[in-house]
Amino acid sequence: YFYLLTLAYNPLHCLSSFYISASSQNNPESGWEAKAVLFFKEQLKDKEAHTSVPSLNDVPLHYLKPNSLVRFRCLIQDMFDPEFYMGAYETVDPSTKARVLRCGKYKDVTECGVDLNSRNTVTAERQTFYCVPIPGENPWVKEISFSQARVVPSTSYVPSRQKRSYEEDDDMDTQPQKQREPHTGMSCFHTEPHGNGDCKRQETEAPSSQTTSASHLDLNFPLPGEKGPSCLVKVYEDWDSFKLNDTLEVYGILSVSPALSALAEEKDASSSLLDPAECMETAEEQRVHSPPASLVPRLHMIYAKPLPHCNPLLPSAALEDNKKQSNEFLSSTLSEMASVRTELLAYLTHVLLGDALAAEYLILHLISSVYARRDVLPLGKFTLNVSGCPTVASYTERLYQIIQQLVPCSYRLSMSLQNMNQLRLVPKKDYVANRLVSGALQLARNTSLFLDETQLEQGQLDTTGVRNITALGNLISWQKVDYDFNYHQMEFPCNINVLIASEGRSLLPSDCQVHLQPQVAPPQMEEYLSAIHMHPQASSQLNKFRLYLSLARTLDYSISDEVTKAVEDDFVDMRKDDPQSISAEDFHRLLVVARLLSLSLGQTSLSRDSWMRAKHIETLRRSRTEQQQQCVNGNEP
Amino acid sequence: VTHRDYRMPCYSTKGRFLQEFYTEDDFGKKVFKYGAQLVALAHREQVGLHVDLDDVAEEDPELVESICENAKRYTGLFADAIHELLPEYRERDVVAKDSLDVYIEHRLMMEQRGRDPAETRDPRNQYPPELMRRFEIYFKSPTTSKPKVVRDVRADSIGQLVAVRGIVTRATEVKPMMVVATYTCDQCGAETYQPIQSPSFMPLIMCPSQECVTNKSGGRLYLQTRGSKFMKFQELRIQEHSDQVPIGNIPRSMTVYARGENTRLAQPGDHVAITGVFLPLLRTGFRQAVQGLLSETYLEAHCITLMNKTEDDELGAEELSEEELRSITDEGFYEKLAGSIAPEIFGHEDVKKALLLLLVGGVQQAPKGMKIRGNINICLMGDPGVAKSQLLSYIDRLAPRSQYTTGRGSSGVGLTAAVMRDPLTGEMTLEGGALVLADLGVCCIDEFDKMAEADRTAIHEVMEQQTISIAKAGIMTSLNARCSILAAANPAYGRYNPRKSIEQNIQLPAALLSRFDLLWLIQDKPDADADLRLAQHITYVHQHCRQPPTHFTPIDMKLMRRYISLCKKRQPVVPESLADYITAAYVEMRKEARVSKDTTFTSARTLLSILRLSTALARLRMVETVEKEDVNEAMRLMEMSKDSLQADKSNTTRTQRPADVIFSLLRELATEGVAGRGGAGGVVRMAEAEQRCISRGFTPAQFQEALEEYEELNVWQINQARTRITFV
Repeated sequence: YFYLLTLAYNPLHCLSSFYISASSQNNPESGWEAKAVLFFKEQLKDKEAHTSVPSLNDVPLHYLKPNSLVRFRCLIQDMFDPEFYMGAYETVDPSTKARVLRCGKYKDVTECGVDLNSRNTVTAERQTFYCVPIPGENPWVKEISFSQARVVPSTSYVPSRQKRSYEEDDDMDTQPQKQREPHTGMSCFHTEPHGNGDCKRQETEAPSSQTTSASHLDLNFPLPGEKGPSCLVKVYEDWDSFKLNDTLEVYGILSVSPALSALAEEKDASSSLLDPAECMETAEEQRVHSPPASLVPRLHMIYAKPLPHCNPLLPSAALEDNKKQSNEFLSSTLSEMASVRTELLAYLTHVLLGDALAAEYLILHLISSVYARRDVLPLGKFTLNVSGCPTVASYTERLYQIIQQLVPCSYRLSMSLQNMNQLRLVPKKDYVANRLVSGALQLARNTSLFLDETQLEQGQLDTTGVRNITALGNLISWQKVDYDFNYHQMEFPCNINVLIASEGRSLLPSDCQVHLQPQVAPPQMEEYLSAIHMHPQASSQLNKFRLYLSLARTLDYSISDEVTKAVEDDFVDMRKDDPQSISAEDFHRLLVVARLLSLSLGQTSLSRDSWMRAKHIETLRRSRTEQQQQCVNGNEP
Repeated sequence: VTHRDYRMPCYSTKGRFLQEFYTEDDFGKKVFKYGAQLVALAHREQVGLHVDLDDVAEEDPELVESICENAKRYTGLFADAIHELLPEYRERDVVAKDSLDVYIEHRLMMEQRGRDPAETRDPRNQYPPELMRRFEIYFKSPTTSKPKVVRDVRADSIGQLVAVRGIVTRATEVKPMMVVATYTCDQCGAETYQPIQSPSFMPLIMCPSQECVTNKSGGRLYLQTRGSKFMKFQELRIQEHSDQVPIGNIPRSMTVYARGENTRLAQPGDHVAITGVFLPLLRTGFRQAVQGLLSETYLEAHCITLMNKTEDDELGAEELSEEELRSITDEGFYEKLAGSIAPEIFGHEDVKKALLLLLVGGVQQAPKGMKIRGNINICLMGDPGVAKSQLLSYIDRLAPRSQYTTGRGSSGVGLTAAVMRDPLTGEMTLEGGALVLADLGVCCIDEFDKMAEADRTAIHEVMEQQTISIAKAGIMTSLNARCSILAAANPAYGRYNPRKSIEQNIQLPAALLSRFDLLWLIQDKPDADADLRLAQHITYVHQHCRQPPTHFTPIDMKLMRRYISLCKKRQPVVPESLADYITAAYVEMRKEARVSKDTTFTSARTLLSILRLSTALARLRMVETVEKEDVNEAMRLMEMSKDSLQADKSNTTRTQRPADVIFSLLRELATEGVAGRGGAGGVVRMAEAEQRCISRGFTPAQFQEALEEYEELNVWQINQARTRITFV
């Protein structure tokens, strides 16, 4: 265990030992890296170990030791151009003239006395990603992942640590560190809950002070009002496998050397004085590509784990590595799913003013996800339009707060005229600073986007407004966002759950519209609504819901041939009876509803019952919509 | 035809290559390609010399390899060689072009006059070759090497000659860059030269001349702007083309340094192909130390060529191999191509065929200044939820150049053009809308019916004249908008009402509707068989995420795009012999339209539409003349589109089988014959009958079937030779 802690503490030392052992065998390119990465992966495999690595998401930067191993849960917001660096270089000791070949990987700053003209210098290439914390991550996710990290002893962020890290910086010897390590670990083990809260408070304060100081620097978060560190992640291998908007958990070496910022400042200062041609990048570019390391730390990736979801309650390790363990986990939860669903349905019915059908659809919507694409057609998307939302007592806001409690990532976009005309929804390439300026639609997969159309008022949409509405329409219909590259547009597929709350039918397209039928009389509405929030669900209950929603989304699904046949015949029969009753699009939707319904019950294949049930709720919904329309038409002759 | 009459033994004889390389022109005369240019260089009539590595390859392929690997060094070597050669090529006195010329001349004179030839000069005070050269050497990469994608230029290409393609995103203004700094000493008056390689340099301070050094006079050096040599310098930034970027990645960019003759060639937004040397940026002094592990790189441009995007696409089209061509043009290719449009959408074969023709486009006619458009406009109407938008979206992706807008989402400005005030200069500028941007392409407009009245008027002009006239804010101009319009509209009453006319159904004026060549009404009609296939199709897609295996595999989108662009090059004509046939068919259609109280109309525009469709069909077959089948198919499509508008006729009356319709057609023909020829007695010529039926949208097979069926019923008789039908 000590060993692991040292590893987390001084990974560069460990890496260089790999390098040295490889170069001593006289083949520096013998794949020492792969070995080292494998070694790190092995070490971090079990759950305990990986939580013992401090996370940039939880721990403020100034508590972390430079050059230590950290992890970062993030989204790739931008990809910069590749960087060329010295993969290997030689240093000359000024006094002894001894030459040492060193490895330039995983660090930003060289030792002194680099021989720049050495023949042994190897130029290598690495890629920089600009990563931001997952946009719209809800507070409960942060809290839980925070507390998870807390349970195991970790050495990095007890408040007293701050002082010690300075000591260690001064002292160049690594030996005493190792001796002190177990002690800190123990002390942390025994930290009282009281202490926990204490340092938590400190930590929540810290970033806010940071962001205020950083206000002049646009950290380019997709959503307005986001906080948290963003990071320049340096990728050494296999960078083509990463895509924009991927969510990752990066394990890497933190580099916050002040030299980096000095570099930037020095350049800034000099570029104004000297010939501008000297600096290849403009001042704006400089600011974006090498921001001060204290604000945007560099992270040298050792390896990264793609995150299929960011729900900390669902053990990601259980789903991928260990088949047996995952099967156990699945079977235990699957059996529970039906009962959890009933509870959730009751809860949501309560929230949706006693409308069970709308609650049913809301569950389906919350577990929907684009599972495949066929040419332009995304399969599995399920945009829900809840119409007939009461406008009193800021109902939509309350509804969003409930959803926020249930899903890991969400964002509420109030579609007020001002917002539509002013917000930047679509990311745009800024050629001056050479970066992708983010927009609110640059979201991680499976983020819940809550469009509040009740906020819309009459007025004039300007060009931006029209563009924004078009972008939203595209997002809903094709699950893609066309990023603006000025000279052309580029299509980025996405997977965002869009929920539209509106009074009448939404002006945006949607897959399915449910008109809310409140069971509560309007006069009592206010009272009723305030009561919803009066009993916050017990957190264990909430956790059950959260786990359920995330799990249902990850399940596999299939339709047996037999059921396929039955479904096809059913369709033909329905058409025979009344051709107007079902179109190809309805059939598409019905299949999606059936799929989601089965998954919500924990069934991984379609059964006849589920099919019938899907048909049933669809019929109910449609009759309700038609009724509503007639009602409207009747009122307005 | 080039002759390999000598081989270059070693690198030092590059001059010989330049002197002696020649090609033979048509008359067998030797043309010294580089010799002629050297003469021009010597007389200062030319500045840049482009060495085509293809030519070098003919002499010495190995040399090309080493040039590509170490281009920077070879530029110097070639320059040295040329510098030595130039005096030989000077045939007459050169008129000085600028002050530097005068300066150089003066210096050379001074050198010849004032100095004892035996005396060796201090190397510092020797004229650096960079100062005396007034020419620039550039390499043109061999045609055998393919241009690279920006993201493939890796660390291993540092120092090499690489060719990349991309779009210019930034171009700085052109600035002078010092190449040689000239100093004079305030004590001895001697000139000192300092060649500069890096972007920054440390000015010399102390005079290094013999005189000052021996006397220890401490002469100070002063920079002389007039004596120094400057070069034009421009920094460009290029970015990959969008089609070169893997899905889910951000386009990469690269810095390009353009010097001398290569400056001012490209502007932001241009598509360029650049050959250059990929180099690390050298830093000096403190900067180098601070920079630490990183090094910046740039591309030193040797050759910048502009190209436009469409040219680029056509380049791909030429590469269509024999095999690929055969795979497309085999049996039933028309159906196959049409079926490959949006394969995930089931059925609608005729609509897809029409869309295919829209992509290919008809031939534009311009007799005596009058322009008749060749682009085909199609309007898709239909009940909500019949995959109209999907078809549009697919076409938008398939067409090499296209714009997708919705009628509701775009104002007139968004469609046509807007006059904007430039925020920087305050000038009025014209910014093109969707229709202008889709020039020479397809403009897909969804929800066409929801468009505001004012915006529709703008489309009138586009759809026939193919231009947009602007008279706003003092700007009066006409912009090209040579685009095909693919519109989708929803019926006004939710569902299409077949008892009402189209204008009423879509609430669009007839003037606008008549500008569409084809109007399709897509309805989902109940049909157990088709429904089952539809159901199977959809469930299969949902299960396996691809369309079910059919009798053909859809043609790849890229291949399709290339084939279509190849087709577009053909300009088929309508032969004289077909003119009568088409006229007759048109007259027939007019007559019918008058009789049958149709909801559609037949006008002169219909005739033009038929011509357009048939030329598009001929293009698709890659032939130069329109044939009868093309006209028939065009008329069949017209007929089908009309039929689709009167779809529910079959619901109200008894369903008419094709055989029944054919029978009534033939009877009509027979009575006409009777009237015309004065009672010849119900005889119809077979060829005539078939022609009539096919022009009404029946296949020959259907015709034959009907013939046999009614013969069995003893309604008519067919003679032995099968040339005449006699009614009983």
